[in-house]
This record gives sequence, structure tokens and C-alpha cells, in this order.
Amino acid sequence: MPNIIHYRNRCIGCGICYELQPELWRMSKKDGKATLLRAVKKKDVYVLELTRHHVQKSKETAEACPVRIIKVN
Amino acid sequence: MEKVELLAPAGSFDALTAAINAGADAVYFGVEQLNMRARSVNSFLLSDIKEIASRCRKGKIKAYLTLNTILYDHDMQLLRGILKEVKKHKIDAVIASDIAVIEMCNQMNIAVHISTQSNVSNIEAARFYARFADVVVLARELTLKQIEAITKEIKKKKIKGYSGELLKIEAFVHGALCMAISGKCYLSLHSQNASANRGACVQNCRHSYTVTDTETKEELLIDHEYIMSPKDLCTLPILDQVLASGVNVLKIEGRTKGADYVYTVTRCYREALDSIAKKNFSQEKIDGWMKELSTVYNRGFWEGYYLGQKLGQWSPVSGSVATEKKVYIGKGTKYFSKIKIGEFLIEAGSIKAGDTLMISGANIGMAKEKLETLVVNGEKSEQAVKGDKITLPVSAKVTSRDKIYKVVSTIDA
Ligand code: SF4
Repeated sequence: MPNIIHYRNRCIGCGICYELQPELWRMSKKDGKATLLRAVKKKDVYVLELTRHHVQKSKETAEACPVRIIKVN
Repeated sequence: MEKVELLAPAGSFDALTAAINAGADAVYFGVEQLNMRARSVNSFLLSDIKEIASRCRKGKIKAYLTLNTILYDHDMQLLRGILKEVKKHKIDAVIASDIAVIEMCNQMNIAVHISTQSNVSNIEAARFYARFADVVVLARELTLKQIEAITKEIKKKKIKGYSGELLKIEAFVHGALCMAISGKCYLSLHSQNASANRGACVQNCRHSYTVTDTETKEELLIDHEYIMSPKDLCTLPILDQVLASGVNVLKIEGRTKGADYVYTVTRCYREALDSIAKKNFSQEKIDGWMKELSTVYNRGFWEGYYLGQKLGQWSPVSGSVATEKKVYIGKGTKYFSKIKIGEFLIEAGSIKAGDTLMISGANIGMAKEKLETLVVNGEKSEQAVKGDKITLPVSAKVTSRDKIYKVVSTIDA
């Protein structure tokens, strides 16, 4: 299954990912950025292996991120 | 006439130093994602506020933090964290448009300037905001006559700001203009889901467009102009009139611009202001400054809406028409502080004696100089190429983050 990757440093906290996919995202109250739930931190990026039924929706979320910092592959 | 304040943008430490060296009275900057240039890669971090404050204090200028995006509930804690730093390091004011920011600043006793994003266009709006703020940045679409009416009324009615002093009025004097009314553009949001009002503008307006009649499928040509991309605002030729309108603060746009841009623009306006004060502002001088200004990034200049033009002037190009451009050559490697010599490693291209070089760095700001003699790997030489180390006199400490560029003319190129 593909991974979803979040380059969190560059997140501008617009909240679209959370709107579209609340099952995977939360908006952090601490720093106002998005947090990818259950993701593993690798260096500066967060990675989560997707389950099959999350793939399509995740691609749409990646498309919607205004600064293009969500990748599915 | 009271002294007006010249306010320059600082999107990086290089630009900050450049603004100080060029004679700005104050700078504005953003941190983290809560500013209108969230897309900018090198945005300052919360932890940079301390250093910014100390550099500004040393340079004897004021520092304002821009916090003018739309805010959501999940931003409140970050907002509070930022404002705590502002308070702690005595940043002079916060530029805001969201009521949450204004309210929190008032509670914490932090001075507020109302951002152009609030689109203040009349005296009643200014009077309203005076209850919370000391400075109001007017919408960029007003004419000088309209501005004058506002500043006169403030004096006449003694409209005071939050601090108890007369409310001050700030106006943009130079830099990029937006096709929309200040703070009311949703183009980027509709096309790419990227809200300009959250600092993520993708600048659709800077592209060229054709208009197609959906019935006949006929395409309309629009005079080869970028019809949604206004030329840049430049009020230098009419700066005396701008001052006469009674504004207190003159703002230069450009937090995404480099040190060379900030230095050149700030310097020209500083000189122009001093010259107006000395009553020797002349056409000849204006021509000189305009020539200087056109060397850095610009889309062509016009005087904005200040003189009451009905329609905007559109840029003939998508990018810059600057008469000079900088080409990256290499980075700083060493500094010999006793003899004030900097060493740079050439990483790309080549340079020869007689070329003009530009250095951008946090300590130097920006420095531009024609290289009379070229010293390569310790010896006088005609040319330096990739891998070579060159040494030259530099007045401030060079670090590995300093960059060196070759300045080339775009006219005879
Ligand atoms: S959509 Fe992108 S920028 Fe917006 S909150 Fe999510 S990750 Fe951050």
C-alpha cells in the first residue's frame, strides 16, 4: 500500500486536509499546523502507510493542499 | 511638517540589515505561517523574534510584526505564543486585521496597527479602529485627495489612537499592487484552493489571459497586456504630494524580496524624503532615483490610484522589467576580520576583473561593488571559475550563509 507523506514544516495551517479527511488529520492547537494521525516522523517529514480504503481520498487531499506538501506514493 | 516614518520590508536577516543600512526608520516582518507571505520559504521563525528585536534596537529603528491573515480556532494558541514573544522582546507594534489579534494585543498592551487587509477607506472606519490602534494603514485604492480629507479630519477632530496620541495614517508608497481591492481577492482560492488571505496567493493575476466568447468561441485579444497584473506602485516622482496629503508613515512593499531590492528602494526613498525636507527635490534628482529603482525587480511603474486614475495600468510582461539582474556565483567561506577581507567560493559561472558583484548577507545586508582587481586563490588574476576562491574587501563579517552574485545588465545582454 502507498504511503502518505506530510512535509509538516511548510504547512500554513489552512485546515483543508482536516476538512476533507478528518479520519487522518487534526489541526494542532499547539502550533496551528496540521498533524497526520498515527504517522511516523522521519527526519522532518511524517509518513503513514495507508490502508486501501484511504488511498483515493488521500490523493484528493494531496491535490487540495494549497502549498502541495502532502504526497501519496 | 512633522517627520514621516519610512517603513521597509524585512523578509530575511539580509533584508533587515539592508533596510537599516539604507536608512529605514522602521521595518515590518512576519513569523511562522500567520502572515501574508506564508508561502515564502525563508519565513522567520518564532525563535527569530529575539534576534530581530536586538538588531533593530542596535540599528535604532522600530520593528513591527505582521499578523494579518485570517485566523482559525486552531491558531489561537500559536497566536498567543507569538504575542508573548512580541511582548517579551519589546517589538514596537503588531500589524493586524483579524479582531482576535486586535483584541488580544489590547489585552496584552501591545500597540496595534490596522493592516491594509482591513481595507480602511473612510474617516468613520478610521475613527472606529482608533479605539484599538495607533496607526491605520489605508486601502491602497484611495486618491491623495481622499487621504488628505482623512488626515485633516483626524487633526481637526483630534481623533486619538489607543495610546492617546493622534491617530497616525500609513500609506503604501512603493511595490507590487494587487488587482483586487486590498484583502479582497479570492482568485487564488477559487483556482487552486489556496487562500491569498491566508498568505498562500498563487498570483493568478500575473498570468496572461485571453477572453473567449462562449457563444461564438471567438477569442478576444487584449493588446498583449497582462490585464489582471497591475504595474508596480511607485510614488517617488510625486512623493512631495504624498507628504502633503498628511500621511505619517510611508510603507514599502516586498517581504519576499532580497536585500538588494530592499536596500535600493529604501535608499532612494530615504534620499528623496531628505531632499524634500531640504526643499531641493528636483526633476533631475527624480530621474536619478528612477533609474536606480528600475535596476531592481519591477513590473514597470505607475503612480497607483493616488492621482485618481480611473483604471489600473497593466504590466506588459509577467515578470520583471528590471534593467539589472543578479546571477548566483557562490557563497562565503571565510572572513579575516582584522583586515576586513572576505573569502568566497565560486560555485557556478565565472567572473572577471571589472565585473560588478553583489553580496547579500545577514551582517552586510547588501553591498554592490565593481571589482577593479580580482584576487583568485591568493593571486591577482583576470578570471575566476567554479571551484576558485576569491578574496575581496568586505566591511562586515562574512558567513557561509552569505551569497555572492554577479550583476549583469538586462539591456545590452
Ligand atoms: S492542507 Fe496543507 S497547508 Fe493546509 S493544513 Fe493541511 S497540510 Fe497544512
